[in-house]
Amino acid sequence: MIRHGWRRLANQNRIPFAMVLLAAVVIINLILQPNLLEPGTLNGSMRVFLPLILVAVGQTIVILAGGIDISAGAIVSITNAILATQVGVKGEPGTATLIMLAVLLVGMAAGAVNGFFVAILRLQPIITTYATSFLFGGLALLILPSPGGGMPSQFTTFYRDTMPLGLPLAFFIIVVIMLAWYGIRQTRYGRYLFAVGGNADAAYQTGVPVNVVQFSTYVISGLMAAFGGIALTLLTGSGNAQIGDSLTLAAITAVVIGGTALSGGTGTIAGAIMGAIILSLLPNLISFANVETWWQTFLNAAIIVIALALPGFINLLRRRRT
Amino acid sequence: MPISLSARNVAKRYGAVTALSDANLDIQSGEVLALVGANGSGKSTLSKIINGVVVLDGGQLLVDGRPVRFQSPHAAKRLGISTVFQELSLVPQMTVAENIFLTREPLRGGLVDRGAIRQRTEQLLALFGGMFKTDLTPDTQVGPLPPDEKQIIEILKAISFNPRLLILDEATASLDSRQVQRLFELVTRWKEEGTAIVFVSHRMEEIFQIADRYTVLRNGQTVGEGPMKEVTSRDLVGMMVAGITAGSVVQRTRPSAEELAGRKVTLDVKDLRADGVHGVSFQLHEGELLGLGGLRGQGQHQLLLALFGDIPHSGTVTIDVTPVHFTHPRQAMEKRLALVPGERAKEGLLLIRSILENFLIPSWRRYGFPLRIGKARQEATNISMSLSLKMAGLDAPVSSLSGGNAQKVVIGKWLLRNPRILMLDDPTKGVDVGAKAEFYKLLALLSDEGKSVLLYSSDDEELIGLSDRVLVMHDGRISTELAGESLTKSNLIAASLGATQEALP
Amino acid sequence: MSMRRIAIPPPLAAVLLAIVLFLLSGLLPNGFGSNPDIATSQATNIIRLAVFLGIVAAGQTLVIISGAEGIDLSAGAVVTLSAIVTYSIVNGNNENVLLALPAALVVGAAVGFVNGLGITYLRIAPLVMTLGMAGVVTGLIIVITQGSVRGAVAPVMTQVIARPLLLGIPGAILIWIVFGALMWFLLQRTTYGKNLFAVGTNRVTSRLSGVNVTGMVVGTYALAGMLAGLAGFLVVGNTGVVHIRIGDPFLFPSIAAVAVGGTLLTGGKGSYWGTMAGALVLTLITSLLTTMQMPESVRRMVLGGTLLIMISIYGRQRGLRQ
Repeated sequence: MIRHGWRRLANQNRIPFAMVLLAAVVIINLILQPNLLEPGTLNGSMRVFLPLILVAVGQTIVILAGGIDISAGAIVSITNAILATQVGVKGEPGTATLIMLAVLLVGMAAGAVNGFFVAILRLQPIITTYATSFLFGGLALLILPSPGGGMPSQFTTFYRDTMPLGLPLAFFIIVVIMLAWYGIRQTRYGRYLFAVGGNADAAYQTGVPVNVVQFSTYVISGLMAAFGGIALTLLTGSGNAQIGDSLTLAAITAVVIGGTALSGGTGTIAGAIMGAIILSLLPNLISFANVETWWQTFLNAAIIVIALALPGFINLLRRRRT
Repeated sequence: MPISLSARNVAKRYGAVTALSDANLDIQSGEVLALVGANGSGKSTLSKIINGVVVLDGGQLLVDGRPVRFQSPHAAKRLGISTVFQELSLVPQMTVAENIFLTREPLRGGLVDRGAIRQRTEQLLALFGGMFKTDLTPDTQVGPLPPDEKQIIEILKAISFNPRLLILDEATASLDSRQVQRLFELVTRWKEEGTAIVFVSHRMEEIFQIADRYTVLRNGQTVGEGPMKEVTSRDLVGMMVAGITAGSVVQRTRPSAEELAGRKVTLDVKDLRADGVHGVSFQLHEGELLGLGGLRGQGQHQLLLALFGDIPHSGTVTIDVTPVHFTHPRQAMEKRLALVPGERAKEGLLLIRSILENFLIPSWRRYGFPLRIGKARQEATNISMSLSLKMAGLDAPVSSLSGGNAQKVVIGKWLLRNPRILMLDDPTKGVDVGAKAEFYKLLALLSDEGKSVLLYSSDDEELIGLSDRVLVMHDGRISTELAGESLTKSNLIAASLGATQEALP
Repeated sequence: MSMRRIAIPPPLAAVLLAIVLFLLSGLLPNGFGSNPDIATSQATNIIRLAVFLGIVAAGQTLVIISGAEGIDLSAGAVVTLSAIVTYSIVNGNNENVLLALPAALVVGAAVGFVNGLGITYLRIAPLVMTLGMAGVVTGLIIVITQGSVRGAVAPVMTQVIARPLLLGIPGAILIWIVFGALMWFLLQRTTYGKNLFAVGTNRVTSRLSGVNVTGMVVGTYALAGMLAGLAGFLVVGNTGVVHIRIGDPFLFPSIAAVAVGGTLLTGGKGSYWGTMAGALVLTLITSLLTTMQMPESVRRMVLGGTLLIMISIYGRQRGLRQ
């Protein structure tokens, strides 16, 4: 049994890769910035990483089931625009909480729009969610045409400084997500996710409600994007209708670095979280390495491409040798 | 609980194509019904209507005397109807156990009970105990398994919830004869326990061995039904293909050993090794039709792919007098080799493209720059006429053709290049009786023209009827060569099975 | 079968849509005038603007036809890079143009070549690979320019590309017509074109029919990069000035134009004249919205909505239930 488990792990081969990469990035970062793991610094980093982590988790679930959600970043933007305009810096805590709950529904509704076009009308996921990202992005701009608005300071302070048991708040959120995911994997729904992503026709013939499963993944992605939007708004304390745009592609990259195949059917949430942390640590590492400013973007992008290429490269060498 | 199912005047159209116009079928608990018909006669469509994958346009489906209308495969399943799908319904990334119990996972406290799944999968696997080449456990991932083992898992999946009606759609096509016999033992047992079984197959022997009654479809209509005892295979074939009888297979005179030895060797293979091929040596002569036999999955497929340069291999391959080592099919093609691959739709055709383009994929370069489309079209027209291809026109998508006609396109694309060595990987699989006869004539003609033909077939009759010699493969090696007097059906079967028995402990 | 469905080919539908939109716009306040002279000049102007999008979308058409989720997200960054290369090589001198054009093409082809290598040999999903390269190219642009773009356009480029060249028709349009004819020739009258459709339909069949699939895919991405490079060169001639985000606005519309033009997003089927029609429709809509002084938010939503409607009509995938 145990031997078998190991073999499966080795077959999948990319989770350990993400672990190795994460370890490497953390160690190099530690050398350059020795206080990286001190509670204060750690909390400072993790609260910045959290929005991307949340979006990447939602993205993983869509990708596992064979789809993709290019509109996740735009949903983050909508959330941010609503919170910044409807709550405002002087918002009442009661209404603020209500509106935060409401934006979760907005995120799910946006996800449902994606789900409708992809799962019910059966349109191509990439191009459909690319199109809806313009719908959602436009909506965010309509709500908040120019940056402004904000969140009450007790909320932003709570997000910034809460460290239960001396650990960053983000850690607890990650633990909750991991536990929830572990639970979901033990349910039929969890099995259905993998079956739909692995072979949708076979799943359908077996009696899996493929449309419902696909639809649900977009709703989950919308919900996670809304959570990401809340975290991002609490982090920045202000509104900007294009704030989420860069998160979409970063999240997809994080998912891939974390070992989830874009073709669906295999992958892990833990990998995506590691991928998100790797991506977030990179700029930090580069800036601490005293790289000239003009080179930083290039270096960051080049390292990402190398990280994406490395598993393929190892495989290529392995194929050549045999 | 017993079941009775009737299809009454069932009709189904796909756009302009009528798949079924008046299909009728009756089956009850405790019997095996053979559903037979040529390719494109509507067998698969009818089975998919019965199991809820396809919606019918006309007619009625009665279960236990009550009319039903399935909204999904799930609805059919609830009534106890289960299917072994021809194209398999397995998720490659999931394990054997996960696949078998998908949608019917036993739950404990709302969560999937993995222990129970594993245990019940073990019991199911035991039904085919000793039939697996790989060390198969409930936790093995399905994707990398060989086709026969996937097929068995598909069968186990279908019977895992004790269905009242089981449809076996070409379930034996990728099984070897031992596995088929085990399946038949099980079918007999299930029948006695009261299961109704619909058996869809092209293989006459199997139909006569296992079925109690038959229903024959032709062009979407039921043209005959009755007890198996009252018909011969000749009768059935007569009903399937009006006008063509089983006796239309070509008669060849086999060249003697001396005669072959006197001919030029076109392909000389020494100690060829590849994934699944462990040292194969043979010679192929000019004008020779050399058969490759043996149980399924003994390396025949990989041998052909290696010779065609598609998979990495070692060993010496000599064409005429020139040693070659192909690393891409293009190189093999330039030496006038051709390969008709085993999976027509996945390896041989561009389904959404036109018949014209399918004919010309390997040949475009010859038409210069800019392409002389007129000349290309003329040559495609000629070849389609000489193959008497039935089509709406060269610009129709190749997906509009029936199985036999589509296979003609695959062969035709190579004939356009006038190959000297033609390799075929089970070319008549899923091809109806009428088209098969045409193929046999074509292959005989090609070898008479002096072309060397290397034919792998899973159909023993076909190998005996066509080949000058047969090399029987086992476990990636040639175990026996049959030629002249020794090339008989019983010898071929014995050689295929004998090798297997030797390998057993 | 008494009723036959009347099927309009997607490219024709896109052209019809463009004409109808244009005529309807005459009725709107701030829309394009109903005065024939003004309408003609407006139409000429819109077609001229569509040229650049159309040429970026040509590369996109090729990679999408090549199948296996083919897409080029680096096209926008490549347009920028080659525009900058052109701008700095030309530096106001007519005689440098002959050097700048090949340089722009080579730069684009090089990026595309790397995309192709990553996608084929390292088996990285096209979406992720080209996204990663977009980052690398953007980084490279920052390294090269160090924040300020130096150079100048040559008079001859403006003359040939932006000004009326023949019978009052701007050079860009004439270039596009010739280019369109060449693309038709490439796809329909060369071995490359025929093999491209084959590779996009089924790679196993193509390989077993002697097509060098890897070479085709690498070559197609390189060609797509080269066409983006060409677009960058032409854009310089049109605008006369270059900034470091000049290519970005082309990316989304280049993919949308291919989809609107009826090219199958799963590969293996499509045409360049469909893409030309798609580029016209999208440019027309954008110009119309700009003329009507619609805010950015509305423009985005209309673009997203148009694409969504077009793919709802043409982009349906095969249903699970038959």
